[in-house]
Amino acid sequence: MDILGNLAHGFSVALSVNNLLFALIGALIGTAIGVLPGIGPVATISLLLPITFGQPATTAIIMLAGIYYGAQYGGSTTAILLNLPGEISSVVTTLEGYKMARNGRAGAALATSALSSFFAGTVATIVVAGSGPLLTSVALSFGPADYFSLMLLGLIISAVLAQGSVVKSIGMVVFGVALGLVGTDVQTGQQRFTFGIPELSDGISFVALAMGMFGIAEIILNLEKPEARSVLKTEVGSLWLTREELRRATPSTLRGTMVGTVLGILPGGGAALSSFGSYMMERKVSKNRHLFGTGAIEGVAGPEAANNAAAQTSFIPLLTLGIPANAVMALMVGALIIQGIQPGPRMVEAQPDLFWGLIASMWIGNVMLLIINLPMIGMWVKLLQVPYKFLYPAILVFCCIGAYSVNNNVFDVYSTIIFAVFGYMCNKLKLEPAPMLIGFVLGPMMEEHLRRAMLLSRGDVMVFIERPISASMLAIGAIALAAMLLPNLRKGKEAALTG
Amino acid sequence: MLPRRAWLAGGAVIAALPAIAHAETSWPAQPIRLVVPFAPGGTTDLAARLVAQGLGARLGQPVVVENKPGAGSTLGAAQVAQAAPDGLTLVVSNIASHAIAPSLYRELRYHPLRDFTHIALLIETPSVFVANPHFAPRGLAEVVRLSREQPRGLDVASSGSGSSNHLLIVQFGQVTGARVNHVPYRGAGPAMTDVIADVVPMMSDSLPSASGHLRGGAVRGMAVASAARHPGFPALPTFREQGVDLVSNSWFGISGPAGLPPAVTGRLNREINAVLAEPATQRRFAELGGLVSPLSPAAYAEFIAGEVARWAPIVQASGARVE
Amino acid sequence: MKINAKDVASGVLLILIAATGLWLNGDHSLGSARRMGPGYMPMLVFWAQMGLGTIVLALAFFNGPDPLEKWTGLDASMLIISIIVGTAVGLAAPYLSSFFESSYGSLGLGMLAGFLVLAYAAGWRLLAFICAAMCAFCLLLEKGGLMLSLAATIGIACLAEPEHRARPLGVLGITIFLLAMCWWIFIKQLDIRVAVWPLQY
Repeated sequence: MDILGNLAHGFSVALSVNNLLFALIGALIGTAIGVLPGIGPVATISLLLPITFGQPATTAIIMLAGIYYGAQYGGSTTAILLNLPGEISSVVTTLEGYKMARNGRAGAALATSALSSFFAGTVATIVVAGSGPLLTSVALSFGPADYFSLMLLGLIISAVLAQGSVVKSIGMVVFGVALGLVGTDVQTGQQRFTFGIPELSDGISFVALAMGMFGIAEIILNLEKPEARSVLKTEVGSLWLTREELRRATPSTLRGTMVGTVLGILPGGGAALSSFGSYMMERKVSKNRHLFGTGAIEGVAGPEAANNAAAQTSFIPLLTLGIPANAVMALMVGALIIQGIQPGPRMVEAQPDLFWGLIASMWIGNVMLLIINLPMIGMWVKLLQVPYKFLYPAILVFCCIGAYSVNNNVFDVYSTIIFAVFGYMCNKLKLEPAPMLIGFVLGPMMEEHLRRAMLLSRGDVMVFIERPISASMLAIGAIALAAMLLPNLRKGKEAALTG
Repeated sequence: MLPRRAWLAGGAVIAALPAIAHAETSWPAQPIRLVVPFAPGGTTDLAARLVAQGLGARLGQPVVVENKPGAGSTLGAAQVAQAAPDGLTLVVSNIASHAIAPSLYRELRYHPLRDFTHIALLIETPSVFVANPHFAPRGLAEVVRLSREQPRGLDVASSGSGSSNHLLIVQFGQVTGARVNHVPYRGAGPAMTDVIADVVPMMSDSLPSASGHLRGGAVRGMAVASAARHPGFPALPTFREQGVDLVSNSWFGISGPAGLPPAVTGRLNREINAVLAEPATQRRFAELGGLVSPLSPAAYAEFIAGEVARWAPIVQASGARVE
Repeated sequence: MKINAKDVASGVLLILIAATGLWLNGDHSLGSARRMGPGYMPMLVFWAQMGLGTIVLALAFFNGPDPLEKWTGLDASMLIISIIVGTAVGLAAPYLSSFFESSYGSLGLGMLAGFLVLAYAAGWRLLAFICAAMCAFCLLLEKGGLMLSLAATIGIACLAEPEHRARPLGVLGITIFLLAMCWWIFIKQLDIRVAVWPLQY
C-alpha cells in the first residue's frame, strides 16, 4: 500500500492553493491554445517557460503539464466543430467527430470527447503511479527493427480499413510517406526534394499540411455547397448523450484507454500511433462498424480516450528515465533543468514532492478540464449557429496566423495554400486525405528505424523475422494484407463495413 | 490572462535602475529580439533564455527569445545576417552555424565572419563518450582493442550527422585506428534511450545533455573531451589522460549582423559578461555542465575564425557534405 | 461504359507524382542495404506508389461509372491563362521592387495574380478567392503588419460569398470585429512575435 501513501502525499502537495491555481491557469491556457489552430502546446510552453523560473519546480511543472493536456482537449473541439485538426492526435477525431457535428450531434461529440478523455486520464494516472518503472522496461525492449515493424503494421491497417477504395488509400499512405521524406536526410545530412528552399530542409510543416488539406479545403467545399451549410444552421440537437450513445461509447472508451496507455509509453511514434490505433481497432471490432464514416460515436470515444491516456503515460519515460518522448516532454526536461533538477531514474527518491505531486496534479488537472469544458459545450455548439458566411473569414484568418506563428515564417502559409489546392483536388477525386497524413507522420520514423536496424544488423534482413516482437507485428500485417487481397474476403469486408 | 506581459513589465521596472546609470546612450529604445536557431528546450535554448532574462534587466528593455530552428541552425543565423545592424536583432551563434556549417554546406547564405558582428562568448561544453553500464571495456584503450577484434566494428551513436559529437567519433577513429560504425540519431534523447536499452553500446554526447544520466548511473562515462577534468565530474578521465590527443568543446555566444556600432557592441559585451559573472548564472551554467568563458568582442571573433579553420579538415575527412 | 473517371485521374496523378519523384531521386545515392543512402527509401516508396497508381488505373476501367464534374470552356482556358499570368508576374516581380526579392515576395505576388485571374471563371471562383486572400496575408504581413494584412485577407475572402459582395458595409463590420478579436487574442494575450502596424520593423 506504499503507492496509496505516496499518492496521498502527492495530493497534499498538489492541493496547495498555489499549485491548484497554477494547474487551473495551465488547463485554461492549454484549452485556449488547443482551440486555436496552429499555435500548439510546444510554442506556448516555450513562450511561458520564463515565468516558471520564479516558481518552485513542482508548481512550474504542474502548470506546464496542465497546458499540455489542456491542449489535447481543446484540439478536439476545433476538430469536431470545424474539421480543423491542430495536432496529429486530433486528425482522427475529425473523421467521425466532424461528421457527428454535421448530423446535428456536435454537443454529443464534444461531451463524448470530454468524458472519455477524463476516464482515460484517470486510468492512465493510476498506471503511471503504480507501474511506471515496470512499463519502462517494456519500452526499452523495443529495438529499431521492432519499431519499424510496428509502424509498417500501422500503415497497412490504416489503409486496409480506410473509407472507399483500398488501393487508392494505400496509394495515399505511400504518397504521405514520400512527403514525409522531404527535408534533410538524418543519416547523411543530404537535402532531399527541397529544391534549394532552406525552409524545406526540416521537412514539410505538419500544421501546413493538416490545415491546408482539412481546414482550408473544407472552407472551399462548404462554400460550394450552400445546402450543406444550412444543415449546420438549423439542427443542433440535444447537447447531451442519449442512453443509446452512452451504451455505444463505453466499450470503445475502455478499448481506447488500453491502446493509449500501452502505446503512449513508447518514445517517438507511440503517442501519434495511439489515436490512429484506437480508431483502426474500433472499425474492426465495434458492433456498429457499418456506421463508421457517417459519424459513429465509437470513432470519437475510442481515439479521444487513447490520445489522452497516451498523453499521460508519455510522462513515464520522462519520469523514470529522464528521456523525453516528444517535443513537449523535451520542454519539460528544459524547465526542470533550469530549476536545477535532472530528470532521471533517481528523481522518484530525490524529489518525491515533485514526482508524486505531478502525478496527483495530472488527475486534478483532468477534473478541472472536465469542469471547464462541459459547461462550455453549449457555447461551442452555438458557434455552429453563426451563419457560415460570418464564420469562414474567421477560420481563414486564424489558420493564416496559426500557420505563420509555428515558425514565424510566411513560407508555412504558402505551403498551406498549396496543400489547400491539393486537398480540394483530392476531395474531387475521392482520394482520402487521412491515410496520407498517417503516412506523413510515420514515414520519416519508419525510414529512420529501417536504416538503423539494417546498419546494426550489417545489412541482414533476417533481423525483422528473428526478433519476436517484430516478427509478430509483421505476421499480423501479412494476415491483414492477405485478407484484403483475397477477393472473397475483400467482398466480405466491404459488406461488413457498408451493410 | 497570460502573466507574460506582467512579467516583462516587472523586468522593465527592475531594469530602470541600471538604465539610469547608463544614461549616456539612448540605445536600446525598443525590445531586443534574440534569435535562438534551435528548437525550444535544448541546452542552447535554456542558456540563452537565462542570459536573455539577465540582459533584459540590465539593458532596460526586454530581450525576447525567438526560436527559429532549421537546417542545422543555419536558418536563424541567415535571418539575422540579413537584419538591420541596429542592435535590436541578435542571434545565438554556435559551433554548428558558425564553425561546422561553413565547411558542411556547399551553399551557405552567409559568411561566418564577414556577415556578423560577434559580441560575446557565453559557454563552452565538452563532448563526452558514455557507454551502457554493461559495456565491457573500462577505458578507451580497451574500446579500441574491442573494436578491432569485432569483425563488424563497434557501433557508436551520436545526436546527428555533422554535429560536433559525430565529428569527435570520426576523429577518434582517425587518431586511434579504432573501427567505429557511426549510428546517427535525430537528437541526443533518442540516442541516449538506445544506449540505455543497450541497442547501441556507446555514444558521443555533449556533457550537459548526458550529465543527468551520468549522475544517475544510467550510463557510464568513458572519457571527456576537455583539456582538463571537469569540476562537476572529477572521476571522469579526459581523452588526453588515456593517451588520445583529442579536445572537442562545443560552444555558443551572441552575435549581431555585420556593422553594429562599436558603442552598442561594447555595451552588449559588458552587460553580457556582467550577467555571466552573476553567481546565479555561474551556478546554473555549472549545473548544465558548461564552462563560462567571457571574451572581448575581438577575441570572440578571433575564436570563431580559429574554429572555422580547425573544423574544415575534420568535416572534409568525415565525408559529410550538404548540398 | 463503366469507366470510373475519378479513378483514372487518381491513378494518373499517383503515377505522375511517382515518376517525378523517381526522376528527382536520381540525384541521391542509393547506398547499399546495409548502409542505405539518402535515395534508398524514396526509391522503395516511389516504386510502390507507381505500382499502386497502375492498379488504380487498371481497376478504373471496371468499377465505374463515376464521372468528374463538368468543366466549362471558360474554366479550362482560365486555368491555363492564370498559370501563365501567375508565372509571368512571379518572374517579373523582382524587377518591380526590391521588396519582392526576399521572403518569397515574388512567389506570393505571382500566386496572388494567378489566383485573381482564375477567379474570373465561375467554377474556380471560391478556391481562387480563398487562396488569393491567404497570399495577400503573406505579402503584407512583414512590412504592412498584422492589421493591414488581415484586413486585406478578410476583404478578398469575402469576395467568395455572393451575399458579402452585395453588402460592403457588412464586410466592413466583419473586418473590424475580426481585427479587434485577433488583436486581443494574438497580440494582447499570446504576444506572438509579429509587427502589428505598418513599417514597425
